[in-house]
Amino acid sequence: MSKSKVVKDLMIDVFEYPHVPYWFTIRQVIKIIKVSFISSKKYPEPLAILVFDEKYNLMGTIVLKDILSGLEPRFMRPTEKAQAYIQEEAELSIIWDTLFNTEAKNLAEKPVSEIMVPAKYFVEPDDSITKAAYLMIHHDLVLLPVLENKKKFVGLIRLVEIFDEISNAILKE
Amino acid sequence: MQLYEVIRKKIEDKEWSVGFQIPTEQELCEDFKVSRATVRSAILELVGQGYLTRQQGKGTFVSKKVIANKLTMFTTFGELFIEAEIDVATDVLAQTIMMPVDDLADKLNISGDKHIIYIKRLRKVDNKPILIQETYIPFHICPPLLEENVQKNSLFELLEKRYGIQITGVRNYFDVTYLDADEGRLLDLSESSPALVLTQHFFSGGTQIMYMRSIKQPGRLELLIEFEKKIGDDRMNFKFSKL
Repeated sequence: MSKSKVVKDLMIDVFEYPHVPYWFTIRQVIKIIKVSFISSKKYPEPLAILVFDEKYNLMGTIVLKDILSGLEPRFMRPTEKAQAYIQEEAELSIIWDTLFNTEAKNLAEKPVSEIMVPAKYFVEPDDSITKAAYLMIHHDLVLLPVLENKKKFVGLIRLVEIFDEISNAILKE
Repeated sequence: MQLYEVIRKKIEDKEWSVGFQIPTEQELCEDFKVSRATVRSAILELVGQGYLTRQQGKGTFVSKKVIANKLTMFTTFGELFIEAEIDVATDVLAQTIMMPVDDLADKLNISGDKHIIYIKRLRKVDNKPILIQETYIPFHICPPLLEENVQKNSLFELLEKRYGIQITGVRNYFDVTYLDADEGRLLDLSESSPALVLTQHFFSGGTQIMYMRSIKQPGRLELLIEFEKKIGDDRMNFKFSKL
């Protein structure tokens, strides 16, 4: 793989993604997703929202799956034991269905800080692509914030660009 | 050309600039070979239209700014401010970016996928909370505002003086609101207490550049709206003064 390319060569502008403060409710974020992506048929990979604190520090990210799991009633969350009965577990969704109108609408009033994935891992603009790939693989991430001097949020690096860069190297050889 | 027109042209062409003392009635009579009555009526007419100002015992001077049309008012708008002699402290509670949720896109007249800068400040007098100010500015209007010191500087001054964005219009709405839990906590009042809410839409040319919502605690300060009409320097002030 080309040694010359680093994170800053592949990173994208943070304004490609909607920003929300942590106190926004799930309901408000759902509306933002509708306006920013679904209504305009824009489906970036990943389809994500960035969550900030009151001083514009990145706190976390939210993808569609985080929202849906935030709307799921608490008792349906799988336990260690339930993993043995995969079939039955899926059937539990019937309960969610019957409770949906009341339960999910209440849960939608929760702040997004409760459902976001906290931003714990970062890369620097001059870090290697492999470092970004390593963090994504080992921490199940599709998006990594790029911080300058561990502080200033300057961009994002996505799995798709990293994949592209690595696959180019594979196909060349 | 009549004397009235001659003098007006001299002012408009800036041959006689602002503050210039025009010749005496006697001198004008001699220079233009007209009667004293003609001179007097021309001057009175020009004073009435704001071109000239008469100062008792001193003479007649060219006014600061010429009113081109009697129906036009030159008005500058002031940001909602608190009188200078009142000691105000400002806490910046938030200075971040969000998307326009709820009815904010309509209020700012932008599309829902545009990023906006959100600034929330708490104003205090004698260490007691008095005013919550929330400001929303489309990010593309002034990106550096995100990192500006909004504790010490007025947003109005930053926009106009530092970034050259002239505010040419403000629309103000007054209403009474009932505080939510968070607003009540900030203003030391219980939830659902009534408070005055002032919402302001700021325009630059035809574009709306800012939306501000200020919630005022009842008492302590009163809101004064003052309109001063001076030739060439009319202004509308909104300010808080001590009760």
